[in-house]
Amino acid sequence: MSAPRSMQVPAVPATRSGALAEGWSAVWAQRSARWGMGIVLAYVLAALFAPWLATHDPVAQAVEAAMQAPSTAHWLGTDSFGQDIYSRLLYGARLALAIGFGSVLLGMVAGVALGLIAGLAGGRIEWAIMRVVDGLLAFPELILAMAFLAVLGPGVDNLVYALALSFVGPFARTVRSDVLQVRAQPYVEAARLMGVPMREIVLRHVLLNVAPGIVVQAGIRVSIAILLESGLSFLGVGVVPPTPDWGLMIAEGRAFITMAPWISGIPGLALAILLVALNLLADGLRDALDPRSGETR
Amino acid sequence: MKENRLPVFSVLDVEKRFLLRKGRNGPVELRALDGVRLDIEEGSSVALVGESGSGKSTLVRLLLGLDRPSDGRVLYDGGDLQQVLSRDRARFAREVAFVYQDARGSMNPRFTIGDIVGEPIRVHRLHPVQHIPQRVSELLERVGLPPSVAVRYPHQLSGGQVRRVAVARALAQQPRVIMADEAVAGLDVSVQASLLNLLRELVAELRVTLVFVTHDLGVASYLCDRIAVMYLGRILETGPVDAILQGPAHPYTRGLLDSFPRFDRPLRAPLRGEIPSPVDLPAGCRFAGRCPCVQPRCTSSDPVAQPLPGGRLVACFHPLSGQSGPT
Repeated sequence: MSAPRSMQVPAVPATRSGALAEGWSAVWAQRSARWGMGIVLAYVLAALFAPWLATHDPVAQAVEAAMQAPSTAHWLGTDSFGQDIYSRLLYGARLALAIGFGSVLLGMVAGVALGLIAGLAGGRIEWAIMRVVDGLLAFPELILAMAFLAVLGPGVDNLVYALALSFVGPFARTVRSDVLQVRAQPYVEAARLMGVPMREIVLRHVLLNVAPGIVVQAGIRVSIAILLESGLSFLGVGVVPPTPDWGLMIAEGRAFITMAPWISGIPGLALAILLVALNLLADGLRDALDPRSGETR
Repeated sequence: MKENRLPVFSVLDVEKRFLLRKGRNGPVELRALDGVRLDIEEGSSVALVGESGSGKSTLVRLLLGLDRPSDGRVLYDGGDLQQVLSRDRARFAREVAFVYQDARGSMNPRFTIGDIVGEPIRVHRLHPVQHIPQRVSELLERVGLPPSVAVRYPHQLSGGQVRRVAVARALAQQPRVIMADEAVAGLDVSVQASLLNLLRELVAELRVTLVFVTHDLGVASYLCDRIAVMYLGRILETGPVDAILQGPAHPYTRGLLDSFPRFDRPLRAPLRGEIPSPVDLPAGCRFAGRCPCVQPRCTSSDPVAQPLPGGRLVACFHPLSGQSGPT
């Protein structure tokens, strides 16, 4: 039989882990994404090793050393309570990253579950879920989180719940529309015809093909979460002082902005750099994973 | 044909209507299938032939249990298909394999070829898990692909290769019946030929029942031993492939045969016009409007299928009797 024996397939060893490596190298191939990844990694390391990198106790007050400009004793200066800004910055990174990733993770789990159920069940169940989601989406994220915190009271764990709640809507919405799209694909019907059990169709066929959209969405949401967290703390409804938090630090230095600009300026700058880096990384993820944004895979 | 054997599939006066909209004068419906009767014998290979819109794909979807008939019944092994499915869906899913027209679309883009071909083996536990890669390699080799494609993804293969993978996946579940919808359409002639050869070998070797949907009479005659010619949701003529190609009894079959370009004679276009709308079926014989030998009776009453010698059935008041000479 004259079957084409000479196959011209690329000589890339593609295995299951290869799919992951492929996606990873697609992210790594982009210069801006590499920068973003490097900076985010630096923040993560700083947060992880904060106890060893810090020069002072982040909550130790020293009235005699208040509002000092950056010096060898206090590398980034001190605030109006005499707390070391460099040390507070490191511990603040801990909080910002933990709240950012934690709230997105929580919101993602709930949102994906709702979106998946709505997209697969259809009918009344879908209608009911999507109306709840519409309700959540009707409020701007900041307002929803503030209302939630006003009820529960401030604190780190409540802040995570509040932010997670504000992310449920967007995740549920995008997952549902992706599920509807994937469900109509012939390979899902083919799997059903082959007798693949429903649970496996959902996990291996539907969820696997919806996953890239979820990852992209999560990447974008992390920076929003950190910004919201700082914003809420700045407004005084988030983390309570003296916890080292960037939003609190910015708020605290606001009154002295002409005399001691470093008190607000330095945490502001740290926040800005982290957000830009996270966005670069998220854009890289999107370009690498989202087939709609150009030729990939 | 073997005697006294139950057909694998029996289609009993099946109708399939699709609701288009609720009109002022009652619902507006599209009759995709309108009184189809067909037996598919064990071990036979049947081609469903017809133009686009003749209902051949709809019929296959009913046979697969993907759609329910609006009227009439589909029997599998003598039992009502819906009952068979509700009683033992897994068995039906293993015994009946389907090869999609859109072979690439029928494969999960995030699965490797090995996962795709191995899936039915795993799901139906046909081999121990550790033997699956070995079995996948055998299947890939059987369809003329090197086992190394098992680590590739569907988008890395050519159109012809993907069709072969689809055939390998169908074989993986050790089916009793293989259904294929235009499985060789849209390929280069050389690729098409090698795929047809492969399918013919497999059918002969594994003694599976084949239901092959195609618009190409040449493909049908090469691959199958029986033909059912469909037109506007009804089967106009069925019978052994050679008899029908030698002497078509229905003017429509003749028209289809004459529409094929051949070297040895000029091409005529005996089928005037296009297939009418299935929403507004003509009265009388549905082919009357395009029939070259239409008679007054044809436009008033609808011909039923009547037997001809040699196990043939034709739905025509004035079946052609002679050989397919020039009209």
